[in-house]
Amino acid sequence: MLFAVFFPILLALIIPFLSKWKTTIHTGYFVLLAPLSIFIYFLQFIGTDFQTRSGSYSWIPSLNINLDFYLDGLSLLFVLLISGIGALVTFYSIFYLDTSEKLGHFYVYLLIFMTAMFGVVLSDNVFVLYTFWELTSISSFLLIGYWNFKERSRYGALKSMLITVFGGLSMLGGFIILVNITGTTSIQEMISQADVIFASPYFVLTLVLIVLGAFTKSAQFPFHIWLPDAMEAPTPVSAYLHSATMVKAGIFLIARFTPIYTLSELFFVIISGFGIITLIWGSFMAVRQTDLKGILAFSTISQLGMIMAMLGFGTKAAIFAAVFHILNHATFKGSLFMVAGIIDHESGTRDIRKLGGLMTLMPISATLAFFGTFSMAGVPLPFLNGFYSKEKFFDASLNLGESSLWIAEILRVAIPYLAVFGSIFTFVYSMYLVFGTFLGEKHLDKLPKKPHEAPIGMLIPPSILIIGVIVIGLFPNLVNESFLAFTAEAIYGKPVETHIQFWHGLIPAFYMSLIVVVVGTILALYQKKWRKVYDYFPGKLSFNRVYDWLIAKLESYSKTLTDSYMNGSIRRYMILILTAIVLVTFSVMLITGGFVIDYSDLAPITIQEVFVALAMAFAAIATIFTRNKIAAILILGVVGYGLAVLFVFYRAPDLALTQLVVETITVALFLLCFYHLPNLRERTEGIKEKSGNLIISVAFGLLMTMVAISAHSSKAFEAISQYFIETSYKLGGGDNVVNVILVDMRGIDTLFEIVVLGIAALGIYSLVKLRSKKEAE
Amino acid sequence: MISNLTILPVLIPLIAGIIATLFHKKLTLVRIFSQVSTIISTIVASYVFYYVIQNGTLVLESGDWMAPYGIVLVGDLLSVTLVLTTNIVALAAVFYAPYSLSDEQESFYFYTFYFLLISGVSGAFITGDLFNLFVFFEVLLMASYALIILGGGKVQLRESIKYVLINLFSSMLFVTTIAFLYSVVGTVNMAQIGQRVSEVNQSGILTTIAFLLFFVFGTKAALFPLYYWLPRPYIAPNPVISALFGALLTKVGIYSIFRVFTIIFVHETAITHQFFIWIAAFTLIFGVIGALSTNNIKLIVAYNIIPAVGFMIAGIGIYNETALSGAVYYLVNDMIIKAALFLLVGAIAYLAGTSDLRKMKGLIHHYPMLGWLLFISAFVLAGVPPFSGFIGKLLILQGAIEANEIIITIIGLLVSLLILFSVMRIFIQGFWGEKDAAIVPNKPLARKLMLPVAFLISFSVFLGIGAEWFYPITEEIGNNLMNPELYIKSVLKE
Repeated sequence: MLFAVFFPILLALIIPFLSKWKTTIHTGYFVLLAPLSIFIYFLQFIGTDFQTRSGSYSWIPSLNINLDFYLDGLSLLFVLLISGIGALVTFYSIFYLDTSEKLGHFYVYLLIFMTAMFGVVLSDNVFVLYTFWELTSISSFLLIGYWNFKERSRYGALKSMLITVFGGLSMLGGFIILVNITGTTSIQEMISQADVIFASPYFVLTLVLIVLGAFTKSAQFPFHIWLPDAMEAPTPVSAYLHSATMVKAGIFLIARFTPIYTLSELFFVIISGFGIITLIWGSFMAVRQTDLKGILAFSTISQLGMIMAMLGFGTKAAIFAAVFHILNHATFKGSLFMVAGIIDHESGTRDIRKLGGLMTLMPISATLAFFGTFSMAGVPLPFLNGFYSKEKFFDASLNLGESSLWIAEILRVAIPYLAVFGSIFTFVYSMYLVFGTFLGEKHLDKLPKKPHEAPIGMLIPPSILIIGVIVIGLFPNLVNESFLAFTAEAIYGKPVETHIQFWHGLIPAFYMSLIVVVVGTILALYQKKWRKVYDYFPGKLSFNRVYDWLIAKLESYSKTLTDSYMNGSIRRYMILILTAIVLVTFSVMLITGGFVIDYSDLAPITIQEVFVALAMAFAAIATIFTRNKIAAILILGVVGYGLAVLFVFYRAPDLALTQLVVETITVALFLLCFYHLPNLRERTEGIKEKSGNLIISVAFGLLMTMVAISAHSSKAFEAISQYFIETSYKLGGGDNVVNVILVDMRGIDTLFEIVVLGIAALGIYSLVKLRSKKEAE
Repeated sequence: MISNLTILPVLIPLIAGIIATLFHKKLTLVRIFSQVSTIISTIVASYVFYYVIQNGTLVLESGDWMAPYGIVLVGDLLSVTLVLTTNIVALAAVFYAPYSLSDEQESFYFYTFYFLLISGVSGAFITGDLFNLFVFFEVLLMASYALIILGGGKVQLRESIKYVLINLFSSMLFVTTIAFLYSVVGTVNMAQIGQRVSEVNQSGILTTIAFLLFFVFGTKAALFPLYYWLPRPYIAPNPVISALFGALLTKVGIYSIFRVFTIIFVHETAITHQFFIWIAAFTLIFGVIGALSTNNIKLIVAYNIIPAVGFMIAGIGIYNETALSGAVYYLVNDMIIKAALFLLVGAIAYLAGTSDLRKMKGLIHHYPMLGWLLFISAFVLAGVPPFSGFIGKLLILQGAIEANEIIITIIGLLVSLLILFSVMRIFIQGFWGEKDAAIVPNKPLARKLMLPVAFLISFSVFLGIGAEWFYPITEEIGNNLMNPELYIKSVLKE
């Protein structure tokens, strides 16, 4: 399994080299090797004696992140879909993409996607699953943006990435919590602890987070908006990622976690509720579209909603119907996308308003499309697989279990009606799609190209899928017992035996199907009459607008907010910083009772000291009010000299001398420099700003004073300086402790302070020199 | 004596920096000398790293003055890991510099300042003495002042004055706070401060002082609400200088918070560390909003420093082993990826002739490798697996959940998305789109500029995929940080 997962990405490594010969041999032929061989490999596991198997390879065992692969019925279904459809799509793309395109890029992305998708469905380790999950988003992003010279492509790529990565991250959050609750990173082990998870206070949170992941990926309402825009990708990509596989990853996720969450009725409410809304909304909106791929995109949304709803029902029959429909949807929708691609390729447009009457020109494509759409619509014919799954869906919607939650009860009653309502529109858009394209009048003059039947290579893959539709339709039990039963069992937790019959008798589900066909036909025939409804509903109300608004506002509000405080004024920055420091530190001091005054250790204050201190304070305040710069410097000097005097009072003559020298030199230097600087400007702030500044500076001064007093008053230990005094001569060989400290005990400090001075000197030198050199030039 | 190894990562760049002044005008010589010296320094740092993994913490009592009286240099696992990372970043920078700087900038002591910056940063990581930490802060700041004005452009001078003033303020506050702390505990040796603070159960004044220290380091680390000085000055100088700043300077601040709030102030976590979580939340949000607010690609990267710091401070705030080892992982990852990104956008801006995103398009047609490197780094930055950013983020978030901090977890996840968006905008708008025919590609230069970037990004990839190799180290660091007595014991030998 390890090899199966990584084979495509390994192949991707050599694709850039192989694509050099793309004119001689289409790169797609090499790529075909990967999905085809994997499909054949996994085909051998199908059979009534199917056993789950697993394989484990260590990656980061210390974090319990290992490549644990687990193959059960559910993953087998997906692996076969991914590899099977993958092979068909690759084959199709060989004829779809001209060799003048950047084939290397395309196939590298496609192979990365295959690996990612295999990884998602085979991983048992949640973090590995998440890794592959994001990789699917990334490769999807690159594939949607494949024709990135188009504005819409870039828009669609970004949109899909933001929404799906958002979901992925949310899912990661859910996983992290689950791992924390259960102490394991294995999904199967989590399932065995389902009751523990159910009892956890975070149960609902994890459910919501994981559901967000699934809903974004599977384009469920209201996250469906990225899918129509993803149609900018080349059609093989749309068929593969955005209909058959990647968008079903969300379905897969829900299916995988059903055994855990099915304990809660909330699961039913959320999954089925949103599923059924998506079904209705998707099919309703599909009728509005004019782009073939747009119709198919909304149709996919709607079908995914239907599968989601069935998973939410959680009954045995519903789950079986869900997995049955996963397979069926892949067959008919895959083929329809390919046909849409053929039409686009051969006629040059996908606009259904310009198309029509193509039946005679493209008879094979038309036949394929008829089978595909009729199956999609669930027309009761015994050779269409779509009918079976649709009828099972109706049947399941009528047989929901008991519930105690009031909202679940309402939903239970409403669901059969909603199901029929949504399916009517499914019928309408299916008919609209096929009749609008292939029947009716021809408008050949409106088409960019003269349409004709596609090359045989493009017809083979959709034909194979349609054969699948018919075979499953004729012999539904062929895939049931040997295959889908195991898939359903993996989700339901208990063995599921189902035998499908065409004729169930006149059961309610059959009447529901009939209603759909009758009402659907009427609506389809008179479509032009009621189309106006779309002008009013949804009209301008759409989640696309919400998304666009969010993105636009995100940028503009970020700008407004950031510019509001990042205005480049250093004074403003200092005000903000000081305010924060003052507020927080004062509060902390208050909370912790940090302010202490202890008078016992204080020396008496003399008149001289008071005088000097007052002079210093006066001078410091005076500098603010001086407008004459020379005067400002001299007054500032008073502060420095005052400090020197204080040092003398406290019997530190060496410090006093140093301070005097430093002060003298600084004042002198200042005077020299200030000659070249502009005059001090008149202060122009208003009284409000001035008083604000005053409060902040006084508060900060007060804070420092209070901390200083408290620090002095809470001496708890003997300072290490005593040791210096004792050992200065004995160990340092010097009488002057300060000297010994500077050159010996703390020599590194001194060394690096000298370095600081050296850098300053060099820095100033280079600044002056480099500037004068520039000026000279 | 083997413990002398500790000081080598500080000494080698110091000496190299001094020697480089002697022939600063001989460009070829000074380049080769600097490159060789950096390689030597990296080899030595690797050896010290290896030695500490094998044999445990190295302690050098400088001048043989026994701890706690003299200055001790402590090479524990955290320090040596960061020193090695610093050297890796330096290595990329020194090979990028010749193609990015003008000859004049190079000849006017760039390499000297560069070496002294590295020396100061390594010293800050290594020292076990609070006052000595201040000294190394001065060294690295002074070197950064010199670097930021190198070349003396008008913008540079205007922005550097703000940078210098705010840093000067925080340095003053730093040294004042050390004095306060010394008054209470009577020592500047970090291990002994830790011991003594624990003896008096971190009395109220000590917690107050702790907050002052936090603001000092928080200013350097660019935390909310102290980061205003950071974005614009960081993009004023040459990209290689921005890269050094972005990768190293803020990280020294974060490292200091790591140290001080795991060894010393750990007895009032309900006040201190809980506060950090709030700070982290705001730092994450405001930082990423800043990154979204601009179309200047350099500024986008500069703003992205802030949310990254937010993640790390969240790790400290959560304060359990998982979150701390995650924060360390994130720190190492962020040093590397920030350097890579600054070098990268520097190259993009230079090759595209503008740093305004609105004026760029279709660069991928000219410089495909550049585009893919940016693409990968966007995912590394946003913490998408299998790259290194993911491991750190995952651990921090796991730690948050362990501590029942749901809000910060959700903020962290949302911010990851926005980080990705902010950088992906560069890719989509700058690299995608139609080919810009006006650009005459300079592929040889692009290759030379890309090589150091690719070197750094390969580390990120390695740290992500090969996490099994590196994680046990950060796990042990996390364990050490949660058990400060280990550090205290190894320094004071009691």
